[in-house]
Amino acid sequence: MTSSTPSPTIPAASTATTAAAGGVAGSPGRLAEDTAQGRTTIAASVVQKIAGIAAREISGVHSMGGGVSRAFGAIRERIPGGGAGASNIAGVQVEVGEKQAAVDLDIVVEYGASIVDLARAVRRNVITAVERMTGLEVIEVNIAVNDIHLPDDDDDVDAPAVPATPAPSRVE
Amino acid sequence: MTTSEPGELLARRLAELVSAHPAVSRLDAGPWNAVATWIPGRRLVGVRVPDEPAAPVEVAVVLGLDRPLPEVVRELRAAIATLTPRPVDLTVADVDAPPQRARPAATAAVEIGP
Repeated sequence: MTSSTPSPTIPAASTATTAAAGGVAGSPGRLAEDTAQGRTTIAASVVQKIAGIAAREISGVHSMGGGVSRAFGAIRERIPGGGAGASNIAGVQVEVGEKQAAVDLDIVVEYGASIVDLARAVRRNVITAVERMTGLEVIEVNIAVNDIHLPDDDDDVDAPAVPATPAPSRVE
Repeated sequence: MTTSEPGELLARRLAELVSAHPAVSRLDAGPWNAVATWIPGRRLVGVRVPDEPAAPVEVAVVLGLDRPLPEVVRELRAAIATLTPRPVDLTVADVDAPPQRARPAATAAVEIGP
């Protein structure tokens, strides 16, 4: 009921508004103005892109994604059509509900940046961007620092991995 | 029967109206390619007008990222309301990322010294 088609079995629609209220009444948690006029759905990929861009805006973030997703991202960018914007969403997982969103980020930091401060800045920017751009409330932003990028290894030689210190667990 | 069918006409006019909005990059077929209308000669992507008069009209768009989406959605709803009194299910299927803002991390990589 929440996903695509409201039940088409609404007989004798007297007015459009009453029929609409009956048509979407089964979906819980809709915004009040949405029930009368229809639903607004924001796709998860939208939140994913916004969060990815916002995280990259912080200058201590070197790149995003764990080893595996970075590798897939590099492959996807070479696939025509399939890779448009793949670099924006590497390392970003989101869960999007009716009114809330949760974001998980995998980031690679620059050497020399305070990881705790950086994570705080990333979290703040992601929350601001997603809440402002989509109107969804961001309930959590979990940040995993997967790697640290040293200034001298240009060609992405793996630096010593840093444990994901500032990533808060869900059961804090 | 074909060209004068009201649902089809509404779909055409909705597509024109919505894609004319400056914040709309393009219409999109939605999550499962389901938001589309078959009209003679082509497939009108991004608009679906169900036959049942009470069912909501479906519109799926790709928006630019220069303005908050709820604002744009409100404007689109207001514009659509001038065409049809039916409820509208609006899907923001994707956004176009501004290319110049997606890159700053790459340039900053050079500046942070040892």
